[in-house]
Amino acid sequence: MRLFRPILVLAALCALSAAAVAATPAVGAAAPDFQLTTIDGKSFSLSSEAKSHKAVVVMFISTQCPYSNAYNDRMRDMASAYASKGVLFVGINSNKNENSATASSHAKAHGHTFPIMKDPGNKVADLYDAQHTPTVYVVDPQGKVRYEGRIDENYEDPAGVTSPDLKNALDSLLAGKPVAKTVTKAFGCSIKRV
Amino acid sequence: MKIDARRAMIALLFVFGGGSLWGEALTQLAGEIDAAGLREAVAREKGHVVLVNFWATWCVPCREEFPSLARLQERNRSAGLRVVGVSTDFENQRPAVEKFLAERRPPFPNYHRKKGGDDQAFIDAVDSRWGGELPFSVLYDRSGRKVRAFSGKLPISAAEREIRKLLANP
Repeated sequence: MRLFRPILVLAALCALSAAAVAATPAVGAAAPDFQLTTIDGKSFSLSSEAKSHKAVVVMFISTQCPYSNAYNDRMRDMASAYASKGVLFVGINSNKNENSATASSHAKAHGHTFPIMKDPGNKVADLYDAQHTPTVYVVDPQGKVRYEGRIDENYEDPAGVTSPDLKNALDSLLAGKPVAKTVTKAFGCSIKRV
Repeated sequence: MKIDARRAMIALLFVFGGGSLWGEALTQLAGEIDAAGLREAVAREKGHVVLVNFWATWCVPCREEFPSLARLQERNRSAGLRVVGVSTDFENQRPAVEKFLAERRPPFPNYHRKKGGDDQAFIDAVDSRWGGELPFSVLYDRSGRKVRAFSGKLPISAAEREIRKLLANP
């Protein structure tokens, strides 16, 4: 029995580690490719879309999360403003408790005309190690992650934003300049995984 | 603002007057807190094992784990555990926070994160590995040293084993 005690302790430590904090994905590395079906039934491939756009903004979103919902209008407006500049915004809903019908009605209610996909089994969230909504990733035409984090620093007041981090990253990328702030953080709702 | 000052004073009187914020059913916020204030709050509990839990009223897993945190506090209070809650609700959701505490009556103090400043600075000050997801918990040993951070709902059984190991070390 004594021989088993260290193994039990090790197993307990492993269980704790698994629940502990995940590693931050690397900016500059290849964005994990994925194929999903949009809520209106179209096929989507990140690698294909990245090649045909100047950037793809992959947004992990939710229909219920107050932090994500605080950005509904900003998502709509930015997606529209940057479409003419060759940037594609896409929304991924990885929450197990939000289905396609909910995602679809939410998109209609908030004027989200950009592609939105359910992520069955949160496989794409796992690929990106995305922990909460909203989190955005900017992917360049070479398929590399160029920015990861928040849309801006002020979820409560769009008029009071002082650090428009996603906009800054996109503008730098479109201008061929290095992105100054490549990783940002903000509060958000844990992605409800299976 | 005056109400906040009064509540903070009550909290200080509890601590410095020899009373304890732990074990009583606390139905109100203990005050507002920023990263520096949180460091001080943890430092004040030197000699105890401290578990800081970040939550929000709209966060379903946060609400789900709240009773477990209360029981965890009760089971380990006499051994020296001090749970501290920090609500990260929006400023305009403060009435919901107060209603939540009045209903749940947790046996540990809860603060509301002070408005202002960049969330990233607060998040990084708590733990550089934290991405901002909720709930999130940080465990400190009796010396005030951070020993572990938990993303998502606390795995209560495993966490309690870890806490009891820390409590066993005087």
